[in-house]
Amino acid sequence: MPQEKEPLKIEFGGITANNVEMLRKLNTVCFPIAYSDNFYKDVVARKNEGLNKFAYFGGFVIGAVCARVEDKRLYIMTLGVLAAYRGRQVGATLIQSILDYYEENKNVELAEVEEIALHVHVSNQDAIRFYVSKFGFEQGEKVENYYRRVEPPHGYLLFKKLS
Amino acid sequence: VCWHVYGLLHRADHNYNEAIKAYKQALKIDKDNLQILRDLSWLQMQMRDLNGFLVTRNTLLNLKPNLKLNWLAFCLSKHLTGDLEGAVRVIDIYLETLDADSPEKQRDYEPSELALYKNHLLGEISPHRGYLHLMACKPLVVDMGAWMLQKAKYELRMAKWADARATYIQIFQRGLTEDYRVHAGYMCSILERPQIPKTIGTHTLVTTVVLDQKQRQKIMEVYKATLARKFGRSKAVQRVIMTLMDQDELSVALEAYCRKQLTKGVPSLASDLQSFLLLESPPPSSPNAEKTFVLATDPLDIKNHATYQAMVKIADRFITNLESCKKYDPNDTDEEPPSTILWAWYFRAGLHELAGQYNEGIALLEKCFEHTPTAVDVYELIARLYRSAGDIAKAVEYLDKGRDLDKQDRYINNLTTKYMLAAGQPETALERISLFTKHEGNPEQNLFDMQCCWYELDLADCLGRKQIFGKAIKKYTAVVQHFEDFQEDQFDFHSYCIRKVTLRAYTDVLRWEDDLWGQPYYGRAAEGLIDLYLKLHDNPGLLNEQLGNGAEPDYSNMTAAERKKAKAIARKKKKAAEKKAAELEEKQKAENNGKALANGPVDDDPDGKELLKSKVPLDEARNYSAILSKHAPGKVSTWILQFDVSMRRKKTLMALQALFKAKSIDAENPDLFTRIVEFAVTTPFVDENEIVMSVVKSELPSLLNGCSNVGDFVMRMSETCKSAVETLSLPMRTAIAAALIKTEKASPKEASELIVNGGLNGHGMTVENCAKALTVLQKMGAETGTWEKIVKEGFPLSTLFASS
Repeated sequence: MPQEKEPLKIEFGGITANNVEMLRKLNTVCFPIAYSDNFYKDVVARKNEGLNKFAYFGGFVIGAVCARVEDKRLYIMTLGVLAAYRGRQVGATLIQSILDYYEENKNVELAEVEEIALHVHVSNQDAIRFYVSKFGFEQGEKVENYYRRVEPPHGYLLFKKLS
Repeated sequence: VCWHVYGLLHRADHNYNEAIKAYKQALKIDKDNLQILRDLSWLQMQMRDLNGFLVTRNTLLNLKPNLKLNWLAFCLSKHLTGDLEGAVRVIDIYLETLDADSPEKQRDYEPSELALYKNHLLGEISPHRGYLHLMACKPLVVDMGAWMLQKAKYELRMAKWADARATYIQIFQRGLTEDYRVHAGYMCSILERPQIPKTIGTHTLVTTVVLDQKQRQKIMEVYKATLARKFGRSKAVQRVIMTLMDQDELSVALEAYCRKQLTKGVPSLASDLQSFLLLESPPPSSPNAEKTFVLATDPLDIKNHATYQAMVKIADRFITNLESCKKYDPNDTDEEPPSTILWAWYFRAGLHELAGQYNEGIALLEKCFEHTPTAVDVYELIARLYRSAGDIAKAVEYLDKGRDLDKQDRYINNLTTKYMLAAGQPETALERISLFTKHEGNPEQNLFDMQCCWYELDLADCLGRKQIFGKAIKKYTAVVQHFEDFQEDQFDFHSYCIRKVTLRAYTDVLRWEDDLWGQPYYGRAAEGLIDLYLKLHDNPGLLNEQLGNGAEPDYSNMTAAERKKAKAIARKKKKAAEKKAAELEEKQKAENNGKALANGPVDDDPDGKELLKSKVPLDEARNYSAILSKHAPGKVSTWILQFDVSMRRKKTLMALQALFKAKSIDAENPDLFTRIVEFAVTTPFVDENEIVMSVVKSELPSLLNGCSNVGDFVMRMSETCKSAVETLSLPMRTAIAAALIKTEKASPKEASELIVNGGLNGHGMTVENCAKALTVLQKMGAETGTWEKIVKEGFPLSTLFASS
């Protein structure tokens, strides 16, 4: 693996109805799957900058993370960084900010939450390594046919128990 | 009292001339009524009846000399009628009436303003007196910045060069290092020139007047010795030093400059550096006048400019290195952040734009999209490139996508609106601009209230192109109304400014208001109106069409039965149209059912039909042309339009005068050339009286550059064209070709060669000019395939020249 460079100095920003198209653009170029209009509507409606945020560099949106609370789980729906800005720990900074947000709110609104989780594509070794090695996630069960238009259509659940 | 009230009524209706008359009548009855005199004086100022104003203020001062305002207003009246000495004396007498310890003589805002105003008057009389007074009143003055700038100007005028230089250093130390006009003044003090040239933006003496090597060297030495050391962090000082460098030194400096800007991520780098691309303008008419610089704008000039070529080399090298090793130079220690290559591509695309290389620019911007598709700046530039390359629909597409990304960005929203109007999509444009208007009901009404001239002008241009005359004229007229409001608005300021003693700013506002009708936006509105009215005048049937009557069929050539049938058809059509309009109204009423009708003023004439019906086109055109001739005489387009209007009014001498005026401004103008030919061809056949014809006969040869008849004139122009086809602009070639046909001096094939043989070499190579050339070729009946092929190869993205 190439020597890790200095982390890129980014700023966070909320996702609103006025800039949600930036999120759509980002997701379109980062992921092979297209998210529905409802996905974006929900992100805006949740109005939670702690769990749904942009990463800005030099005035541009270069990455984003969208997470939500599902029962007792804090679920990460998307994490994306533009290709040109990868390798500078932008993704790690975004995930860390989610974990920090949990720490700040675990006794308040996130008291019910017991674990944080996400799904990755079975072939996405980089992502698996990212979550497992850097953040101490565990690789869980394989979910058959999780994805619709990707080959193979299976994914893994990655999760981490939170105190 | 009756007359007084009558005057008040007129004033409320803005009939100022009538109000003045009424007031004067009232004064005949009651000579010393203060209220009437006061009101009359402000009215006279509004109408610029300066002599009347002087008399009225004199009366007021004699009636009530204990009021400061009366003294100041009287002084102002003397100033504006030209009696500067008198005005100064008035101030002196006023100050004498005050005690020595009066608050008016202590250091405060109002006494300071009065002193600076008096100094301004003295300065106009003589710099010596102004200088002495300025030094004497220093303890009173609070606006030290203005005081110092004025001191420096006096020192220049009185040839006190060393003192001027010292003053300018003091001014810089106050913090005005970034004001380029102060730099211009400093340079004048170095080179011992008494007159500072008028400059805008980042221009100084060096970039305005062509100085010789010795002079530039002198300024450079002073800057490097004093300013660069004292104000090392000033951007302006660095930039000025760059303008003084010769080409090699400049290339090195540019590289360092670009590095900083690209790492920081400054989008405007390309247009910032464009101000370095200066050309020496054509030699001036009088031999003693100095040579000046002009900014290079035509792609041909830019491509050949040495500084531009240096910039391109720098940009290309940066891109190669950044792409391979993420550094500007392989020997650099640190890598650049990921955004630097994006800005490097963007900068290079901007340089392509300057040189007219739209395809290459677009290719680079596609790379930018892949790199950072969330960068709105890239959408803006690519839209501009597509527009220049001839595909405005694509430009609108890109721009709207960019706008969608950041819906809070008003700038990109306005730009999208502009482009949509340019692309002939007024409805979607209105949708976009409405996203930012605070309106209840009709967004267009809100834009009118906000005096949003740019939108109204662009919309009017768009509708004019679509031949929707009524609404277009209405929008241009709306802009004219705004300007009339601007003139109205100054009324309250006459009393207010004098009371608050802000006399310097007030006289500036008066001067600005005097020149109001020479402003560019008004010019656009007036020119647009003249254009549309002349079209309506030339084609009376158009008016009927516009009013929805449909083209009236020619009844005279039909038999009785045919006539009856045609009238029945016309009647049926009219009924169907009326029914449709009624249905539409019903539908709208049903939609608005329940909504309060209090949606602001309802527009009675949304499509401008009443406006069309009520005006006589040629009269309106003449009115606007007269205003432009009076207030915008420096623009060649004013006189071209004056010619067009005068010819239609059969005023031969006025048309001739317009041609001469235009020639004195821009003798090489293609529109002027076309009109000279038109005049020379048509006038000898017009039945005019003998005096007029004799004047025409004696003056025409100088218009024709000494040729005895118009045919020779055109032939001579076409010879210059053939021998040096690359040096003439495309519009000129087009004009000469059309003139050859008009004077029957060449066949369509020969004339078309003038256009086609030059290809895309020369100045003025834009898609619009190519399209105009194509229209001319079609009109003269020449073959157009070759020209279309040539243009298509040069502008492959253009939709006008789409391959068949």
